[in-house]
Amino acid sequence: MQEEKVLSTEQTPKYILEVKNLKKYFPLNKNLLGKPSAYLKAVDNVSFKVKAGETIGVVGESGCGKTTLGRTILKLYSSDGGEIFFDGKDITNLSKKEMVKYRTDMQLIFQDPYSSLPPRMTVGEIISEAVKVHNIVPANEVSSHVRSIMKKCGLQPQYYDRYPHEFSGGQRQRICIARALAVNPRLVICDEPVSALDVSIQAQIINLLKELQQNMGLTYVFISHDLSVVKYITDQIMVMYLGNVMELGETKEIFANPLHPYTKALFSAVPIPDPDAKMNRIILQGDIPSPANPPKGCKFHTRCSSCMNVCKFKEPLYVEAENNHFVSCHLYNEEVMNNMDKYEHLYQEYLKEQENSENEKGKNNEKGKKES
Amino acid sequence: MANNKNSNYISIRDSRKILKYNIKQMKYYEGLKKRKLDVKEYTTVLKNENNIIEIENLKTCFFTDNGTVMSVNGVSFDIPKNKIIGVVGESGCGKSVTSLSIMQLVQAPQGQVIEGEIRFNADSLGYDENNQKLAYDIAKMPTKEMYKIRGKDITMIFQEPMTSLNPVFTIGYQLDEVLFIHTPNITKEAAKAHSIEMLKKVGISMPEHVYKSYPHELSGGMRQRVMIAMAIAGSPKLVIADEPTTALDVTIQAQILELLRDIQKKEQCSIMLITHDLGVIAEMADEVVVMYAGRVIERGTVHEIFHNPLHPYTKGLQKSKPLITSDKSEPLYSIPGQVPNPINLPNTCYFKNRCNKVCEKCSGDYPKTIKVSDTHYVSCYLYDESEVE
Repeated sequence: MQEEKVLSTEQTPKYILEVKNLKKYFPLNKNLLGKPSAYLKAVDNVSFKVKAGETIGVVGESGCGKTTLGRTILKLYSSDGGEIFFDGKDITNLSKKEMVKYRTDMQLIFQDPYSSLPPRMTVGEIISEAVKVHNIVPANEVSSHVRSIMKKCGLQPQYYDRYPHEFSGGQRQRICIARALAVNPRLVICDEPVSALDVSIQAQIINLLKELQQNMGLTYVFISHDLSVVKYITDQIMVMYLGNVMELGETKEIFANPLHPYTKALFSAVPIPDPDAKMNRIILQGDIPSPANPPKGCKFHTRCSSCMNVCKFKEPLYVEAENNHFVSCHLYNEEVMNNMDKYEHLYQEYLKEQENSENEKGKNNEKGKKES
Repeated sequence: MANNKNSNYISIRDSRKILKYNIKQMKYYEGLKKRKLDVKEYTTVLKNENNIIEIENLKTCFFTDNGTVMSVNGVSFDIPKNKIIGVVGESGCGKSVTSLSIMQLVQAPQGQVIEGEIRFNADSLGYDENNQKLAYDIAKMPTKEMYKIRGKDITMIFQEPMTSLNPVFTIGYQLDEVLFIHTPNITKEAAKAHSIEMLKKVGISMPEHVYKSYPHELSGGMRQRVMIAMAIAGSPKLVIADEPTTALDVTIQAQILELLRDIQKKEQCSIMLITHDLGVIAEMADEVVVMYAGRVIERGTVHEIFHNPLHPYTKGLQKSKPLITSDKSEPLYSIPGQVPNPINLPNTCYFKNRCNKVCEKCSGDYPKTIKVSDTHYVSCYLYDESEVE
């Protein structure tokens, strides 16, 4: 009985979205039979949970799989493994028809407000389209519903009959937000909603998003590469690199105490608008490796300042270093750090294996040449 | 609202009028460019020998079908030698057009420099009889003469490293081109050696390999490095960097900024850094120019702008950016409204509709530039000339 009680208390915090070991691989180099010879691992083993009414930020450099993650959660891409729970229900393997029920609960705000609005529809038509499809309100109330949503998003009701080209970037982003909120969603995935906007407009949109969250109890998955914005708006942060989660934790905790070397470098690279600010900048060497051909072992080891030999062949485990603060780095894995000798030995073996395989390849090539 | 709709609407008669006017204007200004000019006509006197560029009352406009857009409307500032000047502003405020005017690269015939001087400090001209330093006036300079300066003494790094390199030529070919044009009688071998040295200078690890490769084989950061190598190949006096890191990731941005600072010190050149990121400005620039709707609203040293901002727009801009160092609690400050329509701007302060300190005086003429200190200037009615010591 006691055990059951403990379990039930643990389950009480309700997670609106739970992602477990989500994977999305894109096939590369299809051969004659249509079977891919290699995969681009855009999202690899990503897990996180979000409570209702909270915001999780997904940060990382371009090509790290942030956008793919957002789209896979919405099932715009089919996942290649893992599970997605929405409000406690498994939606991973639902068919398109079954997903329709959930579409109104999950919405997406795109990055570029210039290309994501259809130019031949008026603002009213754009916002009301989904409302009509899903029968959110009776047909005779659609117009008033749309107007009230527009008002909430800071758009004047007179704009109802205007076309998107008559608006500036900030106003268009408001239209995009209104469109997403018109179907009364509970989860909104914001895919870089402010990065195409100017600084003064950015602040307006960020304030709007926060206000709407408080009034409507929304949950956001906030994808962005701008760390200062993410810090301002989120409760949790997930740092991604080449499809893997590097670090996950509460925003305050992660900014005060970043653990992963990549997170540290990322945070230190943000320019601070104060000429007297002291810079302890960690400058990462080199570029991000191609996601189609990622390095072995820890994907970050090619640019890491505290790279060890273990990192070059063994993928780090995703461990909980502190309470609710997850990191995938060997530095925080006690098992690895305590058995350094063993892993050093394994590394030497790995090097030998590599040499052997290369030699064999060379021999094969020579043989091939001789035969030809 | 009805009024607002009318302002966007142009009748056919009006539209014809605009077209006729535009054609007349464009013909006039294009004609000016083609005239044969004596060297004396486009040389002027520098105010201060230590400046590399002096811009005075520059006006650049675009004759569009909806009317004349004053992209740059009376901009004045100096670029001293061996300094980094930061130009900040929102999109459409004319920062890029200012830089293009310096390069004489404004999209002609629609875009024309109609007034003002851009004095370029060229060593070859020497001094006049009053022992004052002579300078080229780029605003009047014929295109043929400009070829000699552009790409050698004044160079530019563009925003998009993906689109500003030619995809059908190798990196080496494009780098050598700079030398073939500006150094007469250079041999192929010498050019190659110089190009490879330039690639080494910008921190490319395998210069010989990169020399032979095509732009698509390089990553965004590498391409931007190649652009920088190209910009410094002719040992320039001024490098204009137009949003050099906007298209790059934060970690790569840190690399490129470090490189630019390094290059500036080694090459002893000035950099005009155009960006919308206040963080980049604070870190890089010695002096800052803040622009809004085609005008300079405030300029000063980096410390003056960041520790003692005067114009309400500068203050608002700084407050509206969430800081990575601060804790969130209160809602973010945001400047209400949006940038005004650039066509037919009235002769009042452009910021008054968004300003939180608007007063009666603001409905008067456009405020004059007020000197607060030797280096700090602001155009706002809040700061009366009487208040200035």
